[in-house]
Amino acid sequence: MAKYILRNMWRRKARTFLTIFGIVVGILALTVLGGLSARLNQQVQGAKSWFTSSISVVPSGGSLFGGGQDRFFNVSKVSEVEAVPGVKSASAAIGVLLSESQSFSFGAPDLLIGLSLDGSTELLNKLALSEGRYLKPGDRDKVVLGSALAEKNNATVGGTVDLRGKTFEVVGILKATLSAPDNFAFVPYDDALPVFLQVNPFFQQNTRIASVIYAIWDPGANPEVVGARIARQVKGVKVITPAEAQKQISQFSLIFNAILFGIAFIALVVGGLSIINTMVMSVSERTREIGLKKAIGAGTNSILLEYLLESATIGLIGGLLGTGIGLVIIELLNSATATKQIRVFTITTLVVIGPIVFATVLGTLAGVFPALRAARLRPVESLKEE
Amino acid sequence: MPAIETVDLRKTYGDGEALVHAVDGIGITVEKGEFVAIIGPSGSGKSTLLNLLGCLDLPSEGHVFIDSADTSQLSQGQLTRLRREKIGFVFQEFNLLPVLNALENIELPLRYLKVHSRDRELRAREALVQVGLENRARNRPSQMSGGERQRVAIARALVTRPALVLADEPTGELDTANTCLVIEIMRRLNDELQQTFAVVTHDPMVAAYARRVISLRDGKVISDAPQEATPVACD
Repeated sequence: MAKYILRNMWRRKARTFLTIFGIVVGILALTVLGGLSARLNQQVQGAKSWFTSSISVVPSGGSLFGGGQDRFFNVSKVSEVEAVPGVKSASAAIGVLLSESQSFSFGAPDLLIGLSLDGSTELLNKLALSEGRYLKPGDRDKVVLGSALAEKNNATVGGTVDLRGKTFEVVGILKATLSAPDNFAFVPYDDALPVFLQVNPFFQQNTRIASVIYAIWDPGANPEVVGARIARQVKGVKVITPAEAQKQISQFSLIFNAILFGIAFIALVVGGLSIINTMVMSVSERTREIGLKKAIGAGTNSILLEYLLESATIGLIGGLLGTGIGLVIIELLNSATATKQIRVFTITTLVVIGPIVFATVLGTLAGVFPALRAARLRPVESLKEE
Repeated sequence: MPAIETVDLRKTYGDGEALVHAVDGIGITVEKGEFVAIIGPSGSGKSTLLNLLGCLDLPSEGHVFIDSADTSQLSQGQLTRLRREKIGFVFQEFNLLPVLNALENIELPLRYLKVHSRDRELRAREALVQVGLENRARNRPSQMSGGERQRVAIARALVTRPALVLADEPTGELDTANTCLVIEIMRRLNDELQQTFAVVTHDPMVAAYARRVISLRDGKVISDAPQEATPVACD
């Protein structure tokens, strides 16, 4: 049967090839975008676990992803936040972009994060250490590196690394999360502030400012309730609770997934129609053969199955080729950007299996109409067909 | 017991002014093991009759009995099974599937009968030997002559050992030598296996080899008589 179906497809090589090629293009796009989406979702998941591990307190008007260059508050707010019942500890943080010319990147930028060390241990605890230790109160010129940054700088625990013109001793390296914290370098607040002021010279040199205050809640406390309490008691802040953070992050992936669905839909329509067209033509070309088969005893179901399998095969071949080429492209792009420690695509089981199954199902569904047409032909009329 | 019986069989096409009575009240009985030629000018309704006998087409009126079973009572699926199990067809042209080789073409009806693949090949080879084409097993139709193609088609019609073989102008496209060869094969199978043959033809040479000739004109039987069949002797 398989041999027979392939031979039938081979009869119109050019047409079969063009049809398959149409599927390949659609599936290729789907695979590559799927890889992109998988990578993005991975980042979103990682970001979620980081940003939902604490209550973020930002200047009012700011958002989860920074308050904008000119919105900061004084570190004195830390003690105000800490005073709120239900807050176990709070630490001020200040962020500086590590690279002076980072215009665009996938996911989080490389960030130097200064943390006030008093309350930071519990915050950093949320990120698993690969080796070394966390920062502890009293540390100066020490850094805990995210995994991607450590790799990029060839850093080892005990060694040193230069960040923004300043030399730090590496005391710890975090485990890879495949998301934002991988590109973070955590340093003591007091080391980060001069760097920040140097980059942003319009701030008064003696101000102690923070862009975010991370608050850890008491064990057993409801972070949403605690967050609401902070918002009530501390003036001039906006509180982003874990639930709120989750919502903001989810919106990110929502847009991208919508684009992915759009591409899938276009692939569905274009690929489906071209398979239907090809199969309808095949059926009309082979009308006499179908009549002959019926005359010698082929049942409706066996004709139906034959044509469904043929169109499913077109879909399957298109899916395999499209996914295969898509994976090769993903690998090439990933290895091309590997030197910059950026991975644009992630290959998951879904990214590989999804488009193949999609194409095969598409092929089968597109075959239903032509196959029914073939199966319903009446033998005597088909045999008369020229 | 008759192999085929028709009762007041009618087939009309079109309607009103354009109404055509292709088959106009035919009642014939063909006993098992007979070799019948159906002759008549073009448009006399002989092909339509054959299609009705083979249940490829449904009559407008009347009945066709195959092995005493009234085919008008059967569903499409049951008609398919009847064709599969009891009838073998040989058509004038375009007999074979171009993507299959000779052996695979012959195996096809066995496939529909769900015969096991090993058995299938064995029986197909046997049928190929019967039509003298054992050395053409792997050839596709496009690599064979018209006569060879028709012999493969006969082998395919016979491989299921059908009680009834219906042939529509089986020699219409063949030269004299191949015509003789094809008739010889059909007659031999008729003699040896007692299969019933109904052959539509306008070739007097073919009709001469039949043991009974039914002559049609304008959808009606105008003569139906047994005859002394000419012995087959091909050069």
